[in-house]
Amino acid sequence: MIRLTRLSAIGLIGVICTAVGAETGQLPADQLEKAVRSDSISIPTPAELFAALEKPGKTNWSSQYRGPMPMTYRNRAQIALNLGGLIADGFIAVEAKDRQQVKNIGSDIIRLAKALGVSESLLSRGNSINDFAEHNEWDTLNEELEATQNEVKSSMQSHSDQDLVILVSVGGWIRGTQVVSGAIMKNYDERSAKVLRQPALVRLMQSKVNEISPELRGEPLVKDVSQELNGIEKLVSFPPGKAPNIEEVRKLNEAVGKVMEKIESKTIAR
Amino acid sequence: MKRLLPIFLSIVVLAAVHSLRAETDAEVEARKTALDLAGAFANDGFKTRDGHWCGTVKPHDHALVAVNLYAGNQYWFSVGASEPSTKITVSVYDETGKQVPTETHNAGEKAAAGFSPANSGQYFVSIDLIEGREGSFCLIYSYK
Repeated sequence: MIRLTRLSAIGLIGVICTAVGAETGQLPADQLEKAVRSDSISIPTPAELFAALEKPGKTNWSSQYRGPMPMTYRNRAQIALNLGGLIADGFIAVEAKDRQQVKNIGSDIIRLAKALGVSESLLSRGNSINDFAEHNEWDTLNEELEATQNEVKSSMQSHSDQDLVILVSVGGWIRGTQVVSGAIMKNYDERSAKVLRQPALVRLMQSKVNEISPELRGEPLVKDVSQELNGIEKLVSFPPGKAPNIEEVRKLNEAVGKVMEKIESKTIAR
Repeated sequence: MKRLLPIFLSIVVLAAVHSLRAETDAEVEARKTALDLAGAFANDGFKTRDGHWCGTVKPHDHALVAVNLYAGNQYWFSVGASEPSTKITVSVYDETGKQVPTETHNAGEKAAAGFSPANSGQYFVSIDLIEGREGSFCLIYSYK
């Protein structure tokens, strides 16, 4: 009888655990609205996007490289946007396991970051990137690139340049989306195309850009990027479960490509 | 009495400074706990994001953090809490507010929830304080 009681108790615990595991609650919309949305955790890194793209099959990462870009920008907003794009390029080179490309991009990141006057400690990050690339430590390189991005952002915050932080994230997301949509166009697969659905993320970036100082927001490049994000939001808003078709992917690729051209252009920003 | 007043004020100021320091220390402690937990997932090939979010949670209440995830990836959300919070749980909700089934790991002041989103988009991580008093927590996440 005692043994049976024990067995019943164990069974009951099992039922409770199953019940808790299967519990499905619902949060009201007003609570979702009040959720914390922060650059540090709500905006994914390009590495997360690239990891998801890799799942259905091998990606030809090196076909997504772009040519050398100018390193002589003077406009701080433009430098921040390009810095984000360059960090995304660093993640691409890591995915491609291309030692030399990682080193070149690492040097460019440090050069652009120095142009913004961010902390000297970043120089040691540049050396680490070179060392890890030399020893083919690709996982560690992913971490190092993310740490570099975060160090750039915290250095901006301590230099009262917090408005530029979101521009680094925006630049990284635009370049990452350009690369991923380009890769999907070359080898269309519904599962891969599903990664492009990110309406809330684009809305979050838009809202953060709207919070920056009116002076910075009024700069032609920032204004342009902000306006283009409105159109891009529509292009990444598919119903849950539906993958964009190849034509929709092409439209998105063209839209983000157009923004990247503006970000890279030497003539648009004053 | 007048001589005692400055001493009393000093004690109040010191207590306030101490409590501010304690709050910062509590966040550091919570982050360390969350990182310890995430370390276990790293052994399984999960990469831990460098970003994190620290906040406070009240008894029988929850803190909600929005994240944007990609279909195809697997995720673990690890949370550490510091005293006087003693038992927390983590759950995940989709963009409509519906709870998502997750694997869970609960061990007092540390808890984790893991799942693979079927759709890319916004999700909400809820940190619930089940036992203990209001305290700090820290959320980090890992993916592969």
